[in-house]
Amino acid sequence: MSSYARTSSAARPLADAGDPNSDIRLSVEQVSYAYSANPSQAPLFTLEATSFQVRPGEIVAILGPNASGKSTLLKLIAGALEPLSGRVLLNGFVTHTLPHRTRGQRIAMVQQESPLLFPSRAWEFVLQGRHAYGRTLRFETADDILIARNALQQVGAEDLSDRWMDQISGGEKQRVILARALAQQPLLLLLDEPTLHLDIGAQVDLLETLRRLAAANRYTIVVVTHDLNLAGQYADQVAIFQKGKCLRVGPPSTVFQRELLEQVFQTPLTVELGSSGRPRVTVLSAK
Amino acid sequence: MNTRRTNLAAGALAAALLYAASCSPSVRAQTPNANSATAPLFKDFVDEAGRTVHVPQPVRRIVSLSPSLTETIYALGLQDRLVGDTDYCDYPPAAQKKPKVGGAINPSIEQIVALRPDLVLVTKLNRLETVHALGNLGIPSYATDPHTVQEIVTSTERLADMLGAPEAGASVAAGLELHLADLRQRLSASIPRRVLFVVWADPLISVGKDTFIADALRLAGAASIVDSSQDWPQISLEEVVRLQPDYLVFAESHSETAKSDFDVLAERPGWRGLDAVRNRRYAVISDAVNRPAPRIVSAIEDLAKQLHPKAFSTRPEDEKNQKIPTTTQPQLSFRLMASIGGWSAVLEDCACAL
Amino acid sequence: MRPLTLSRLLAYCSVLAAILFVVVVIALKMGAVPVSLYGLGRDLLRVLFRQTSQLSSEYQLIIFDIRLPRILLGIFVGASLSVAGASFQALLRNPLADPYVLGVSSGAAVGAIVALIIEPHLALAPAVAALLTPIGAFLGAALTVTAVYFLGLRQGQIDSGTLLLAGIISASFLSAIIMFFMSTLTGGNYRGMAFWMMGDLSTPPQRVVSLILRFGFFLAAGAIYTTAGDLNLLLAGEKEAMHLGVDVRRVRLVVYLAASLLTGLAVSVSGAIGYVGLLVPHVMRLIFGSDHRVLLPTAAFGGAIVLVVADTLARTVISPSELPVGAMTAIAGAPLFLYLMRRRLA
Repeated sequence: MSSYARTSSAARPLADAGDPNSDIRLSVEQVSYAYSANPSQAPLFTLEATSFQVRPGEIVAILGPNASGKSTLLKLIAGALEPLSGRVLLNGFVTHTLPHRTRGQRIAMVQQESPLLFPSRAWEFVLQGRHAYGRTLRFETADDILIARNALQQVGAEDLSDRWMDQISGGEKQRVILARALAQQPLLLLLDEPTLHLDIGAQVDLLETLRRLAAANRYTIVVVTHDLNLAGQYADQVAIFQKGKCLRVGPPSTVFQRELLEQVFQTPLTVELGSSGRPRVTVLSAK
Repeated sequence: MNTRRTNLAAGALAAALLYAASCSPSVRAQTPNANSATAPLFKDFVDEAGRTVHVPQPVRRIVSLSPSLTETIYALGLQDRLVGDTDYCDYPPAAQKKPKVGGAINPSIEQIVALRPDLVLVTKLNRLETVHALGNLGIPSYATDPHTVQEIVTSTERLADMLGAPEAGASVAAGLELHLADLRQRLSASIPRRVLFVVWADPLISVGKDTFIADALRLAGAASIVDSSQDWPQISLEEVVRLQPDYLVFAESHSETAKSDFDVLAERPGWRGLDAVRNRRYAVISDAVNRPAPRIVSAIEDLAKQLHPKAFSTRPEDEKNQKIPTTTQPQLSFRLMASIGGWSAVLEDCACAL
Repeated sequence: MRPLTLSRLLAYCSVLAAILFVVVVIALKMGAVPVSLYGLGRDLLRVLFRQTSQLSSEYQLIIFDIRLPRILLGIFVGASLSVAGASFQALLRNPLADPYVLGVSSGAAVGAIVALIIEPHLALAPAVAALLTPIGAFLGAALTVTAVYFLGLRQGQIDSGTLLLAGIISASFLSAIIMFFMSTLTGGNYRGMAFWMMGDLSTPPQRVVSLILRFGFFLAAGAIYTTAGDLNLLLAGEKEAMHLGVDVRRVRLVVYLAASLLTGLAVSVSGAIGYVGLLVPHVMRLIFGSDHRVLLPTAAFGGAIVLVVADTLARTVISPSELPVGAMTAIAGAPLFLYLMRRRLA
């Protein structure tokens, strides 16, 4: 299971949600998108205008069934796609128009990795996160090495440093990938379905780490997931999507209403409030 | 890393690389002409490829990159001037003892230069790049390219003129003309036989109508049934069966295996459809027919004798009642290149034979 | 953790440069005409200091006007092909990619054949006529590169998969055209084409052509080297690379053009020499790792060494005849690759 000790309780109480003095870091303003394979045809897929705001140190979970537009929204936030209307602001800058290098210094993405063509060692992999900080034709500085090592420590993967990437387990790889994202020293950390191939223990580890990092380093974290309960436990805000439309945004206790969730996920369930004030969703067996 | 130091290092490296790129030591540019004491005379000739060749006079050292030109040099009696030839120059046997420079297509430029030739003789079988490379090193190349037997004769004469031996050229030409005139007369009453000249059996390759080989066939009282403007056309066996040549003609350099080779060919599918195969009507001549050199005339005569034996049964100027036995099956054979297929291999082989 | 430093890179390059130097000296010594090392050194110094009045015989001519240019040609062609091969392997994310996979060599061959066809019809001075084939080849290569680029676009951007497909199809199509030309055209010097298509360093190119090859090499290889760090990230995945700050579009375009330039120049002067562009990058990867900041320069040296060795063997093994250098590159490169691969896996 976890290779580092759990320090605090599994979930942070809902009471102190965000520092009222901090500014808004991430602002999604009426962002919409449409994709059509052929310009003359009707769009195959549409994301309707969506808005929400996130502060430093907050975690936002984007939830919804498959093909509801979650990953597209994440790419729009990352600046990889240009919105059809609206804009995404990171500290006041439109993410899509940021120069590549700056974007690499501000926004880090953790997603399903393409298979590695020529395997590298974990420390080499993490050092890739420093690429956006160097000039052309530069070699890594002592600072870069320090930051990379630090990043590995933060995710508890220091002992993996010299291992080859194609010889470690899925959960370990996930941690190294996260370390690379941390090495970018970003303001915004985006994760696309990070818990997909992890076992339950690893899933909880990951969310705990994210929680810790968000608090310690004042990251803004946006996680796309379809796991209701993890989102409910760890997120400060959740956004529910269905077929490209954002149905509701807000703290989990507000958003996790039984009628809404049943409509979105097309399955009977119950919502209970846990001891910490966070909702727990239980899926009922077939009708 | 200190930015200024890296930039300096990069600049120095770039400068060094640029210098290295631009320097190319050439001796020729710097060395004064080794023979500056006696400046050589030059004469311009236009060779048979249409190029103007700057030939030093006199020509003392020749390298031949073609077996046919080697033969021609020997026929002209100028072999003392031949300092090198190709691996495939095998006629006359003395030519095999000359220093070798490699193949016709891939000769060693180094070897050629080491022999210090005044002139290199080439044909259309040699590569343009070889000619250009030799030109860059100051060695001129003269190309011959005869398309008929008459052009072979005039080509020989012109070659002799260029090499400063016009008398040898005239005498060789005269001898060939005489021989050809005799043949023409003997065959004047004979109907040309329709033949298929088989260069290669599988795939079936013959000669085109614009080649000197086709012309040689004509002079031997034969008409090639292949009407193509390509030099080495590949033809279909079906077409040959439709045209039904009277004879098959093969060119070969070794003697012994003619009969058995033909038997093997006769067994192959499709060939039995040819009357000529079923009736065993074929002629074998020396591979001299493949080389545009004086020796081709003897191959022509040989073929004529096989195809028109009656024309040679009496000598026209000798009306005595002597019957000179004719030879129908000469002691030459052909080599069937049955197992090796492929275009380029064929062309290579023909190139070597030429 | 042992990240790459400049001093380590320079150390690797110095070792390889030393090996290249030794190989060049041996290559100068070997050939149809015997040469002594002492004589060689003495003559080299003389040439450098322009005291060539001492040199008189053709033997010196052979060394400096035939052998040395041939060795230099081998160095630059070998280096160009290896760097291009490594670059295409990164660009196409495919370890089987070689410099010719996008059709550059077939396009060059078609250009060369066209040049051979029209040459007799133009009355050119010999010096210009000799340039016609390399120019034709280069134009053929350039046109192919342009066509494949546009065929390989997807939504306005180079897409590795589409590019690879477009290249393979173009290469096949052009090869068919070549076969058509070679079997139907009459007369002419086309049998020499077979030799050219196997790759051939035996005919020294014109001075101008050599200079263009060398400058082109430094220009293109330099351009690719500026993207070396980006290529490392590209190999981890294109989406990931973009998020890590790489301008993927620009890098792909630069690498595509520069690697195509390297290949086009090399093929225009020496035909399509095989295996160097494919094997040498892999060998260097096995020895030095896949960091392109090291891989590109070491591949350049490695390619130069392999090609000079192969060419020297090709011209001495069955002297005075010459073997096609492409066969020799396979013989020289493949066993070494197998040995290193087994060591890595063991």
